[in-house]
Amino acid sequence: MRKSILAGLLFSLMIPVGHAADQAQLKRGAHVALEVCNGCHSLKYIKYSDLLKVGFTKAEVDSMRGDKPMGESFQSQMDAATELGMFGIVPPDLSLMAKAREGGAKYIYELVTGFYTDSKGQTANHAFQGVKMPDVFMIAQADAASRKEIEGKVRDAAAFLNWASDPYAEERVTLGKYVIGYFFVLTFLLYLLKKKIWKRLK
Amino acid sequence: MNKMINWIDARFPLTFFIKHELTDYPTPRNLSYWWGFGFLAGFVLVIQIVTGIFLAMHYKPDSNLAFDSIQHIMREVNYGWLIRYLHSTGASAFFAVIYTHMARTLYYGSYRRPRELLWWTGQGLLLLLMATAFMGYLLPWGQMSYWGAQVITSLFKATPVYGDEIVTWLRGGFTVDDPTLTRFFALHYLFPFIIFGAVVIHLVALHTVRSSNPSGINLADKDNIPFHPYFTIKDLFGLGIFMIVYLLIVFFKPDLFIEAANNIPANPMQTPAHIVPEWYFLPFYAILRSVPDLAGGVVAMGISVMIFAAMPYLDRSRITGGARYRPVYRAMFYIFLIDIFVLGYVGAHPPSGTLKMVGEICTTIYFLTFLLLPLISRWEEKFVLARGLPPAVEAMARKEIAEAEGNA
Repeated sequence: MRKSILAGLLFSLMIPVGHAADQAQLKRGAHVALEVCNGCHSLKYIKYSDLLKVGFTKAEVDSMRGDKPMGESFQSQMDAATELGMFGIVPPDLSLMAKAREGGAKYIYELVTGFYTDSKGQTANHAFQGVKMPDVFMIAQADAASRKEIEGKVRDAAAFLNWASDPYAEERVTLGKYVIGYFFVLTFLLYLLKKKIWKRLK
Repeated sequence: MNKMINWIDARFPLTFFIKHELTDYPTPRNLSYWWGFGFLAGFVLVIQIVTGIFLAMHYKPDSNLAFDSIQHIMREVNYGWLIRYLHSTGASAFFAVIYTHMARTLYYGSYRRPRELLWWTGQGLLLLLMATAFMGYLLPWGQMSYWGAQVITSLFKATPVYGDEIVTWLRGGFTVDDPTLTRFFALHYLFPFIIFGAVVIHLVALHTVRSSNPSGINLADKDNIPFHPYFTIKDLFGLGIFMIVYLLIVFFKPDLFIEAANNIPANPMQTPAHIVPEWYFLPFYAILRSVPDLAGGVVAMGISVMIFAAMPYLDRSRITGGARYRPVYRAMFYIFLIDIFVLGYVGAHPPSGTLKMVGEICTTIYFLTFLLLPLISRWEEKFVLARGLPPAVEAMARKEIAEAEGNA
């Protein structure tokens, strides 16, 4: 169990979170998540206005939302009753998914790309035996070239979901560096003061 | 200024208080940084109360809203993520500091006469802290919150005759549900203030008997120095080190102590594959599971937490200074420490064949450490006295032995 947490941490380091240079990946991932995943899954803690934070312009978001308000969150495009009939389960919300599974974003990637055709000709999954989700990208039948393309898309989507699970990660790390720096200086000064005060004792 | 202070002093002992408790309060000058953890615990209590009050302004103690309100705090409240991570990491920091504080007391024998009441008020504080942490863990209303509360409240089934009634009464229903959440929230808000009061009592006891010190002997007057400024600055420097470690986790690994399953909303219809308590309960949880019978396990777990209170009587050695001059006690201390870590590992994993056996062995070692201590400590006392001690320590021990024999 702890091993998979470690693997998840390593993988999350490989997906740089929300950094400007990788906004391109987050934007690509947002398209996959909102056009493919959101077909069945909700992302209820993510709103149109949040897309501005991953680098979409106001105009881009406006064209995506149409006449929906900026503050509207991403409910599933299918209603729960239909989903229950189709899959036997209401697909779980994805906004916290990268934190809600051991292995985080890596697990999402492995699950979505983990479909294969078993010896009986049935679609199965390496990461989750008996998963009720269909092979959305049809990776089980894909040839090498399209497999690579799918893997790229899923990696982008996993990166976006990783961002969505913790939108303040970048701000937290930036602020953290200043706070820790401040405490290093303060602690060093306290150390000097302690030495100075204790010198009075003979 | 002086006039104002005189005015106050005539009506309230302000100057006396500052002198008596700070600027004139005699403190052994040889206290190491291990003696700073009590102050750190007090500081973490303040962090928890302050962040907790701000969280309560945005949190909704309602089973339909609780989980979403945490995400509201994380995403929409200004610096809500910071307040929440300070609080969730603060819980772990609190236990880390308190366990270190207890380990120092055990190592240096600070629980010995005349500090029994100081030690017992500390034991009471530990119980209050555990209860507060347990109830707080339900509030995020995630899968681990829910099932952890379900498992722990069901332990009260072991009560003779009225077991089921008590469990229902605690939960406010047949399972953990909305009534459980609201009452845990109310008590989680109340308990920290009871803890605060208990800390004051703990400090009154401390200032009556004064601090123990690593040498074990009562120091001469010249070796006692005023608490302020010497220990205020020493504690503040220690606090700086603590804050660096604590904030490194808050800012760079805030999910370290949050189980993945607790990011899934509570679902009474679906038990998680593996229910684990927070790390600070793992050794006690391992003891609970190592006893095959439910009632036996609950009793064993209760005793494993409470048995520390008996230390002033279990340890019958009259050699002061704790483990410092007592090689056997020192060995026992380290074995016990390792034993707790192994129990923690066992508690974090599903009970399989070997691991189950390791848990049973470590549970036995845990209790044997306490049960054998009365015999071992007396035998060790003779051995150490025969081998020779620093004169001051030996004189203190011989005096105490003579007094005890005079009484008998």
